[in-house]
Amino acid sequence: MKRASKIFTALMFVFLFAPIAILLLFSFNEARSLSVFSGFSLKWYRELFRDTETLKTVRNTLVLAVCAAGVSTVMGTAAAVGIHRMRSKYLRSALDMVTNIPMINPDIITGISMMLMFVFASRLFGFAASLSFITLLIAHITFCLPYVILQVLPRLRQMDKSLPEAAMDLGCTPWKAFWKVELPEIMPAIVTGMIMAFTLSLDDFVISYFTTGTGFQTLPIRIYNMTKKTVTPDMYALATLIFFVILALLLLSNLTDSEDSQKLRAARRAKRAAAGKPPADPRKQRILYACGGSLALVAVAAAIVFAVTETDNKPQVLNVYNWGEYISDGSEGSMDVVKEFERWYQEEYGRPVQVNYTTFASNEDMYAKLSSGAVRYDVVIPSDYMIARMIEEDMLLPLDFDNIPNYQYISDDFHGLYYDPDDAYSVPYAYGIVGVIYNANAVDEADASGWDLMWNEKYAGQILQFNNSRDAFGTAMYRAGMDVNTTDRSLWQSALDDLLAQRPLVKSYVMDEVYNMMESGEGAVAAYYAGDYFTMLDAQADTVDLRFYYPDPTNFYIDAMCVPSCCQNKQLAEIFINYMLSQEPAIANAEYTWYASPNTLVYENQDYIDEMGEDAMAILYPGWDDFAAQYNTYAYRNLDGELLDYINSLWETLKIN
Amino acid sequence: MTKKTTRRNLVTGIAASPYELWAVVFILVPLAFVAYYAFTDNSFRFTTANITRFFTATSSVAGEDGAGREVRTYLLISWRSLKLAAISTVVCLLLGYPLAYIISRASPKAQKTMMTLIMIPMWMNFLIRTYAWMTILQDTGILNNFLAGLHLGRVHIIGTETAVVIGMVYDYLPYMILPLYSIMAKMDHRLIEAARDLGCAPVGVLRRVILPLSMPGVVNGVTMVLIPSISTFYISQKLGDGMFFLLGDAIEGQYTANNLHFAAAIAFILMVALLAAMAVMRHLTSKYTYGGAAA
Repeated sequence: MKRASKIFTALMFVFLFAPIAILLLFSFNEARSLSVFSGFSLKWYRELFRDTETLKTVRNTLVLAVCAAGVSTVMGTAAAVGIHRMRSKYLRSALDMVTNIPMINPDIITGISMMLMFVFASRLFGFAASLSFITLLIAHITFCLPYVILQVLPRLRQMDKSLPEAAMDLGCTPWKAFWKVELPEIMPAIVTGMIMAFTLSLDDFVISYFTTGTGFQTLPIRIYNMTKKTVTPDMYALATLIFFVILALLLLSNLTDSEDSQKLRAARRAKRAAAGKPPADPRKQRILYACGGSLALVAVAAAIVFAVTETDNKPQVLNVYNWGEYISDGSEGSMDVVKEFERWYQEEYGRPVQVNYTTFASNEDMYAKLSSGAVRYDVVIPSDYMIARMIEEDMLLPLDFDNIPNYQYISDDFHGLYYDPDDAYSVPYAYGIVGVIYNANAVDEADASGWDLMWNEKYAGQILQFNNSRDAFGTAMYRAGMDVNTTDRSLWQSALDDLLAQRPLVKSYVMDEVYNMMESGEGAVAAYYAGDYFTMLDAQADTVDLRFYYPDPTNFYIDAMCVPSCCQNKQLAEIFINYMLSQEPAIANAEYTWYASPNTLVYENQDYIDEMGEDAMAILYPGWDDFAAQYNTYAYRNLDGELLDYINSLWETLKIN
Repeated sequence: MTKKTTRRNLVTGIAASPYELWAVVFILVPLAFVAYYAFTDNSFRFTTANITRFFTATSSVAGEDGAGREVRTYLLISWRSLKLAAISTVVCLLLGYPLAYIISRASPKAQKTMMTLIMIPMWMNFLIRTYAWMTILQDTGILNNFLAGLHLGRVHIIGTETAVVIGMVYDYLPYMILPLYSIMAKMDHRLIEAARDLGCAPVGVLRRVILPLSMPGVVNGVTMVLIPSISTFYISQKLGDGMFFLLGDAIEGQYTANNLHFAAAIAFILMVALLAAMAVMRHLTSKYTYGGAAA
């Protein structure tokens, strides 16, 4: 029995720590991959400490978690005591139910409903830009509270009810009875509740995403938004460091507990006994320590909050909202574009500017945030179809091109495109073309052409298909020669039939998981963007030989810089856009993201061409005869709500089969 | 004594009031927004169409023989989500219960250390932990390389129900262990010894003493695991090869398709169903959770 339980415990801890060991291992990986280990390197740790944006989000996350855990523990414990003593059974069970609601609601719904409420309240009371650190904190306290209450309440119920009554009979005031008898009894549950609240707050991303305001981003949001290029190993490095810090703290507290402090305590006890005083109540001491500890935490949190608000009070602030992993951020010796802009602006205009750079994971997320009207962004970088929708809904401002002289370097191919026919609202930032990536060690060269490779039964169980409806339907529709923006529902239905026929061959429906799967050889065929192919190529395993080709026709997308109607400083926004078009930052961004640039200063620059290499240039810039016509024919357009709903129901049919 | 008890009830009655206010403003009001969206259409006119759609929408699914058959889309999705969540919860309970018990019987120092060790993985970002599981479970992953190295053959796990359950169990196990542990640590072990001394077999001790005493922890643990696992989408996407379409995916998909009203309707139905289920569960176990046997 004894041995069996030891083995069981050991196995459970192996299970709990296996992924942590993987994190640890891959944080030392030479390559950018999280699935192929190519050699030992400390470079991701260097990257981490250089990455001020990430470190800022770490700080934000900690501040938020400490505040949320502190408030929800105090309020939740009081609530549990109150609920426990409640005499109306009806009221008690009603409150019990309400307590469970934040746990039941899916995160995305809690997030959106709270956002709607904050927006509504701010309109009612006339605050602009209401989403802020405070709303985020309120949301976190709200979803932490039930966990604290659910910890403390059973413990209270388990406690002998006659204990506090006995204390009062013996002359304690009710408050003293609570403090001396009840609180020590429920202390372990309170501590557990607080740790849970802290942990939950530390890890939440969906609710945070919707309730946070301009410029305050937490680490989970930052990681979740890394959808363009998947999670980077410096996040693994960060996790490893957190692990060792906690482990060190744990060892330290155990060590001090075991020797010195025990000796000290014994000495103190002896002294008290010698003086004829009664021994100190260890429970009371524990409570004192706990209170002291929480006070210290709150003080630290207050100091940090103060520091945060302090830095946010600079005179000029530019709020930029972009995809995750979509700007050169100074990693691996690249240019830190945001920081360089701040420096350049100070030199040029003699005034400081602070850029608040935040990220989003999808066009739809960004749209939800902007249309709530409770945020203030100055520059956003959405994709084409979303730009069309935002122009239609008056969410973008026409640009003053006098402030953007560098617009002249944008290639003529990018004028008069469907989403912005008069070139009034947007400046193209990057573009991509969907191609087919395949592992030449698993796929016959003869089969590698057209969309048919993705339907080739020879490669059953090795094909990766997009895990979003528009792109997946796109592959079937391009293959069948259909218009991807058709309103003819029967065409969508027949595309579904093709996808259903493909489903038994599909290994996995993927988004950013495509990187790991293709790099490791787990998948052999996938459709993805040209730029991403090179990211994979960089990290492929020795047994894998990735190649790339364009099927015809295929999908084009363009992401462009725009100024939303909530912009506070349009001229500054335009200066930023102009800066992004100037040669050095534009080349840095193109090299960092590996996506094609519409900027002639980039793709005609010899250094850039040399850096990319001949093969990459041939793939990224294939030299389409008539780019604009091709683009206008094959790019996705904004579809109306009813059709989107219909497509989504077809997609559900595919997914539940 | 009566006077004091009254004063005490007054004091503790006030203790819950900040939370009551908070619950009304930040739990019930957002909930009202969910309900409002669930019962309106895109132009905010009242409709029950979203609710009926959940129960009546059908899709054609290929059967074993390849012939298509009509199924109720969202009922099928709900059933699959419930099934996976239930399996995960049971596995969590089966693994978590003995572990919590073992920990609760260890020395105070060992208890503290082990509980901290259980919490540590939760402090690493959950997205990153799930990614790490992909690396382990892949066909070309760590586990398979390890097995191949031992000449034990390979196992295909990623993309199967097993992988999704492993992911959920891994992520939610601490939520099961914590409430169980906090109850068991408080349990009067003399009762167990007494039962043994009086000739109760180990199974009887478990069934008649330990289990009833720890029931409040079981109820809370089950609640804390079942609920998040029923609406998760991230784990099923990453570890299920995108082959599993669960309620969380459905809600996310509706939101992305700009159909917030139907997304709210799905959430609303899910919430009503879970609240009802929990009311039943609490009623059935009330003799344990409201004093009774636990004293």
